[in-house]
Amino acid sequence: MLNGISSNLERYMDLLSARQKLVASNIANADTPGYQTQDVDFQFEYASMIQGEQPQIIQAQGLKTKADGNNVDLDREARLLAENAVRFNVASTLLRGKIKLVQQAIQGGNGA
Amino acid sequence: MPAPIIPVHSVIAVPAVKPAPAVSDGSAFQSVFTDAISKVESFQQNAQHSVDRFLNGEGEEIHKVALATQQADLSFQMFMQVRNKVVSAYQEIMRMQV
Amino acid sequence: MSLFSSLQVAASGMSAQRTRAEMLVENMANAETTRTPQGGPYRRKDVVFSSDTQASPFSAVFQNEVGTGVRVADVVEDTSAPELRYQPGHPDANADGYVAYPKMNPAEEMVDLLNASRSYQANVSAISAVKDMIGHSLDILK
Repeated sequence: MLNGISSNLERYMDLLSARQKLVASNIANADTPGYQTQDVDFQFEYASMIQGEQPQIIQAQGLKTKADGNNVDLDREARLLAENAVRFNVASTLLRGKIKLVQQAIQGGNGA
Repeated sequence: MPAPIIPVHSVIAVPAVKPAPAVSDGSAFQSVFTDAISKVESFQQNAQHSVDRFLNGEGEEIHKVALATQQADLSFQMFMQVRNKVVSAYQEIMRMQV
Repeated sequence: MSLFSSLQVAASGMSAQRTRAEMLVENMANAETTRTPQGGPYRRKDVVFSSDTQASPFSAVFQNEVGTGVRVADVVEDTSAPELRYQPGHPDANADGYVAYPKMNPAEEMVDLLNASRSYQANVSAISAVKDMIGHSLDILK
């Protein structure tokens, strides 16, 4: 019923949650000596992720390392934080819309 | 005493009436029903497992719980609608004067 | 893995940055303290952060990551030689008339404090964003 598009949306939201979790960890460790920024390869994981599997955590590339070995870029993390949240909320709203449609279709059968 | 019915040999050939289609036993229909019921049940179970995983702190995301619950709800609603339609169709047939 | 654990992670970040800020404020407040109970001038303190895998009250069978928080592993005192200034009239002056002052650059402490504040804010934003996502997730049920 909901299956076709909703499983894609659900996978999308799964990945975004996973990514957001890592962003939160990165932000918390923005000043921890030696800490390396974590991420997931979003495109790859979205294309290949099977329901229920956890995405692989990778090291983010292209970041500058500070003197204490930490390579967290707060600007990058802040940007990702906002982006992930917006995308997630959009997906959830789309899902709600789909659900409403299906509900209407089911109930619309009344009196037909 | 009413006159016996005299067969009428009409000039126009009466088209042969097709025999009524064989009434299938109810089992095909029943299996569709049990199929639907088991689907609804499996959605319900999914939802229950999702909730359990969330409550146990196994890291189940809220949106997954919400989706599983909605799916169970929708499939149940759909099933109820179908059931209602079937019942009302049955009742209509029973009301028909033969 | 759950978004909820991110709340804990961000909270640990807030807590750590707050401790860092408190240390820095203490340093700045004592920039000119020449006398301490331990003897000698104030010695500036530094916090040492360390990443910290969050334990959750539900930690049963955890196959997945819970999220990496942060904690203050240590508070270290500056052990370098204090700054000596020639002030013969000062009550804390030594035999040669030098007073030992904390070795500290107030400007540096201030910049550090601003960074701590910025990091703290980032953690607050994280909590807000995650709360928002959880809220939207629940809306699916509406």
